[in-house]
Amino acid sequence: MQGKGLLIGLSVTLRHFFGRKETVQYPEEKLPMSDLFRGGRLVLNEKKCIGCKLCAMSCPNAALALTVEVDDQKKRHMKKYVHKSGRCLYCNFCVEACPTKAISWDKNYENACYYKEDLTYDAVARNKEGINNEQ
Amino acid sequence: MHTGLLASLAAFITGLIESLLGHGFAAQLIMVLLEIIAIFAVISLAVIIQVYMERRICGFIQDRLGPNRVGPFGLLQTVADMIKLMSKEDIVPEKANRLLWGMTPMLLFIPAALVYAVFPFDEGAIFADIGIGVFFVMAIMSQGVLMFLIGGYASEDKYSFMGAMRAVAQMLSSEIPIAFSILAVVMVTGSLRMSDIVSAQTNVWFVCVQPLAFIIFIIAMLMETNRTPFDLVEGEAEIIAGPFTEYSGMRWALFFLAEYANLLAAAILTVTLFLGGWQGPFLPGIIWFIIKVLIVIFIFMWIRWTFPRTRIDQMMALSWKVLLPLALFNIMATGIGIYIYKWIY
Repeated sequence: MQGKGLLIGLSVTLRHFFGRKETVQYPEEKLPMSDLFRGGRLVLNEKKCIGCKLCAMSCPNAALALTVEVDDQKKRHMKKYVHKSGRCLYCNFCVEACPTKAISWDKNYENACYYKEDLTYDAVARNKEGINNEQ
Repeated sequence: MHTGLLASLAAFITGLIESLLGHGFAAQLIMVLLEIIAIFAVISLAVIIQVYMERRICGFIQDRLGPNRVGPFGLLQTVADMIKLMSKEDIVPEKANRLLWGMTPMLLFIPAALVYAVFPFDEGAIFADIGIGVFFVMAIMSQGVLMFLIGGYASEDKYSFMGAMRAVAQMLSSEIPIAFSILAVVMVTGSLRMSDIVSAQTNVWFVCVQPLAFIIFIIAMLMETNRTPFDLVEGEAEIIAGPFTEYSGMRWALFFLAEYANLLAAAILTVTLFLGGWQGPFLPGIIWFIIKVLIVIFIFMWIRWTFPRTRIDQMMALSWKVLLPLALFNIMATGIGIYIYKWIY
């Protein structure tokens, strides 16, 4: 029948009119990032960390600057875990190199900042401030 | 005489003014001015609502949300856009004919606003219930194209001029099917008066009596108002924006305003001629009228966001080779039908 296609088209658009909307209302809603997403800041789990510095050694760009201290029982602790994210390639080598899976990405994609210095942060200090404590 | 809500309001205001100024010329003048202001207020408000509707419906059909940030539900988005357009720089093309070029957006608004004089909004609420109402609407609506031609010519720009030529070609193609489809309604009613056409639809709407004329009318009205399947006048992909190419800021906004005023006029004309005008059970006439007009506008927008643009030759072929013969056939069938009806009763 002539004009059948027009009616099919109209029915399709009407279905979409009442259908679910795909818009993510950004500041209020955020898209969950996939497991493969590499980005944001490194989160250090100090209980798991054995202070082996393998992450810093695997880093191709020397983006990690670590300071390790040894306590009375000869256990190694991270004193400073500085991530210069301005140098970071987000290649994931550090996370893969960690033998105890102590570091992970926080999957935050809002890392834009005004000053270059803000790109560098200390993961241990962030833990002390209570940011990302539960992770 | 039984009157609707709007007519009672008008009578109340008339009474108020006459009690203050007497039955003289001054009172009449103020009433006329008030009526003109009312038309412009209705058009401005309707344009704001229609632009909002258009963007929301477009968004919804494309699985988006559309504007929803400015004001409650994004209702003030159009107001914000208008303020933006008004504050923009006024760019005049160097070689343009400044007088004609500057006059066009303002002149375009006159035919768009003038047709509202004969639309029955409610029982007894009609600015001028003249005996040639339908003819008047047809005559005035086709004047809009003259402004497109002037604007396109005065811009001194090939795209504007091509757009203007297309506007004329499209108007000629659309007016005739519209006229012949309306003629079938006029034949059934036996009157060109708008209020007579509405009161003739008390028992049955003309969309049931004249379904073919209704379809022809809707398609031709889409051509007349330059909306998408037939927005060849401003077809962005081909001729940038047609006659409005050189216009910017507030002047462009006036073109936009006239376009939506025409869309509203088209919806009102559809409702008046085919969908029983303001008539309906329970609710007051004006409410029924607004509901029907909004539904028709929704259908126009729904069509717009469904179909792609046709080519100019396809549009002309559809108009002259399909719609016009169908409209003529419909007139013949209506004439035979009326003859048989009179012969039986």
